[in-house]
Amino acid sequence: MTQSPTLSRRSASPSAPAPRKSKRSGADARAGYTFLLPWLLGFIVLTIGPMVSSLYLSFTNYNLFDPPKWIGLDNYTTMFQDERFLQSVGVTVGYVVFGTPLKLAAALAVAMLLNSARKGQGFYRSAFYAPSLIGASVSIAIVWKAMFGDSGPVDQGLSFFGINLGGWVGNPSMTMPMFILLTVWQFGAPMVIFLAGLKQIPADLYEAASMDGAGPVRKFFNITWPMLSPVVFFNLLMETIHAFQIFSSAYIISNGEGGPAGSTLFYTLYLYLRGFSDFRMGYASAMAWLLLIVVGIITLIIFRTSKGWVHYSGDAK
Amino acid sequence: MINRRHFITTVAIGTASAAALAACGTGSSTTAGETGSAEKPVTINYTWWGNDDRATRTRKAIELFESKNPDIKVNGNFTDFAGYWQKRATEAAGGGLPDVMQWDLSYLRDYGQRNQLLDLSTVKINTDAFDKTLLPSGQIRGKTYGIPTSTNAFAVYYDPAKLASLGIAEPDGSWNYEEFNKFLSEVGAKGNGALFGGTDYTGVWWMFNVWLRQNNIEAFTEDGKLGFSKDDLKKWWNLSAKLRGTPALISEERATQLAPKSPFGSNVTATEVTWDNFMAGYLADSGAKELKLVPVPSDDKDNLGLFLKPSMLMVASAKTKYKDAAARFIDFMVNDPEVGQIFKTSRGVPASQTQRDGTTFEGTDKLVVDYEKSIEKYLKDAPEPPIVGFGTLEASFKRVSSDINYGKVTVDGAVDAWFKEAEDLIKQNA
Repeated sequence: MTQSPTLSRRSASPSAPAPRKSKRSGADARAGYTFLLPWLLGFIVLTIGPMVSSLYLSFTNYNLFDPPKWIGLDNYTTMFQDERFLQSVGVTVGYVVFGTPLKLAAALAVAMLLNSARKGQGFYRSAFYAPSLIGASVSIAIVWKAMFGDSGPVDQGLSFFGINLGGWVGNPSMTMPMFILLTVWQFGAPMVIFLAGLKQIPADLYEAASMDGAGPVRKFFNITWPMLSPVVFFNLLMETIHAFQIFSSAYIISNGEGGPAGSTLFYTLYLYLRGFSDFRMGYASAMAWLLLIVVGIITLIIFRTSKGWVHYSGDAK
Repeated sequence: MINRRHFITTVAIGTASAAALAACGTGSSTTAGETGSAEKPVTINYTWWGNDDRATRTRKAIELFESKNPDIKVNGNFTDFAGYWQKRATEAAGGGLPDVMQWDLSYLRDYGQRNQLLDLSTVKINTDAFDKTLLPSGQIRGKTYGIPTSTNAFAVYYDPAKLASLGIAEPDGSWNYEEFNKFLSEVGAKGNGALFGGTDYTGVWWMFNVWLRQNNIEAFTEDGKLGFSKDDLKKWWNLSAKLRGTPALISEERATQLAPKSPFGSNVTATEVTWDNFMAGYLADSGAKELKLVPVPSDDKDNLGLFLKPSMLMVASAKTKYKDAAARFIDFMVNDPEVGQIFKTSRGVPASQTQRDGTTFEGTDKLVVDYEKSIEKYLKDAPEPPIVGFGTLEASFKRVSSDINYGKVTVDGAVDAWFKEAEDLIKQNA
């Protein structure tokens, strides 16, 4: 039986040759590390270094100008009395909870459409993937803002159907749907992964099901979904983490302010404002670490629950 | 082929020569900083905020400066206002502020008090032609961190053609707040959804500052605390309470979507309360033939609370290696009559008398100069540089008052929210 793609390495064949132990292995290791050095240096200097220093700064009142002063957990405790902080948490959680599943659903739906062999398949796949290539760019955020503004195409299109919402950009209750649409539209990356997953599902399963008289819905729930669940799991994880990090589109659409009425004050945007507009780097560092911890916990929870719903083809059901 | 010995010698030589070069660098710097010559000019970095129009004018001024000072080259750079301060913050943290910068009063203390800016009284800049009441705006605790390039004052803009089309008489600027509100309502009512009276003027910090002065209240105390009470702010935000949600004021939804363009510049409102040097920008944005300026409303006919503020200042980095060159460039930008001729009133009305006299003001530029002349008798001293972190307070003032207009918060709640932020900020920076 074909292996499911990603994340099924633990069932990979154990017959790969074990590394040979010899005198050469020391020299090999040295050569290996030498080749690794440029990356390793970058990793230590540009990633680990700043991370450690930001952890330290999160316990200080660093303001970019004066030397940082140790204030213990103050940054972490004051956060929870900061209404803007709580607002930013609310906005971000709403975005993740609604945006991610919708995006995955869209990605899966399109992947299933593109899975069947058709003329011009390659073109359609590229065309559907395109939005995610350009979606995170500055220009798309600007286009989005124009599309959803007063008398923009969306406003005019809706009023054609008698729905008069006005521009979405200035309306605090419509900005979130706008951002969710923007992320759903960038379904390309998970779609490609879904597509690869769908290709791995053996056609004989569907044939057998058809023989037994199963309809498309039944086939989806009894074959596609369980066979695809490792891929769903992977995509869910990646997209959830990704969604927490939304920044540039929010920054551009709200002119870097998180408005209107704080409705687009995403966590990372508030973090940025705290650090670079209010010069409260200590506070911003604490926010960054809290985000890291929370995303870590959520990842862990998703991993834990995965045992219940992710089906690896090698496993006994 | 690189062998180990070769490699080590190369590194050693490289390190030694770098150290030697660094030694030269410190050795040759004097109190005036490094100086250049026509053959070997020094290059200073200059940065400013503004639109394309200002960039064109500034580049012209730089060219002129370079032709008059062949020993100095100026490397110019610009961004928009919001991005400007985020960039400066990171540069300051890294110790790499540009040599000379255009500056805003709101941020003078943040950088001046933290020793990021050069004390300009230690270098040669001619300030004889400046109004003595204006210079303190650039001074903190006896040190001069900024020289004003120009002044601006608060005013009410209106578009005479729009008022005429609605059959409303032009205002003369002698009005109290009730009359002003009535005027806005009338415009809104006759504007019939296409034209609103104005934007909510109570959302602008500086207009609040003007109102405080009309009531003889200080915005900030000398020790950097708030000089007004919650009740004062409540009164202020309630001034336009009856207009909110009526056509007298453009809705926050509309205004947000027009940003960064202003509603007035987008021809959606008939008036705007703001700085008088925005004239050129509004004319360009709206395409209106003519815009006019009148004084702001006041309940005290003899005290309009108006003042001339430095619309922008010139500052130098405390760490500049070219103090002399920086000083000469600043002196040129604020005093040279030809620079005045290049900028006209787009930076504000030139602060230096020499520059003002050397500039011919025509058309709308003349309107701005005339306006500042017409309010001369009401003018009070220029404000001191506001407190550290003022830029943040100013932004949150606008944000919180926009929340009122969105109906997200009551005036009382908004006052509490803003005071909480302000007190927190003052405590942080104490």
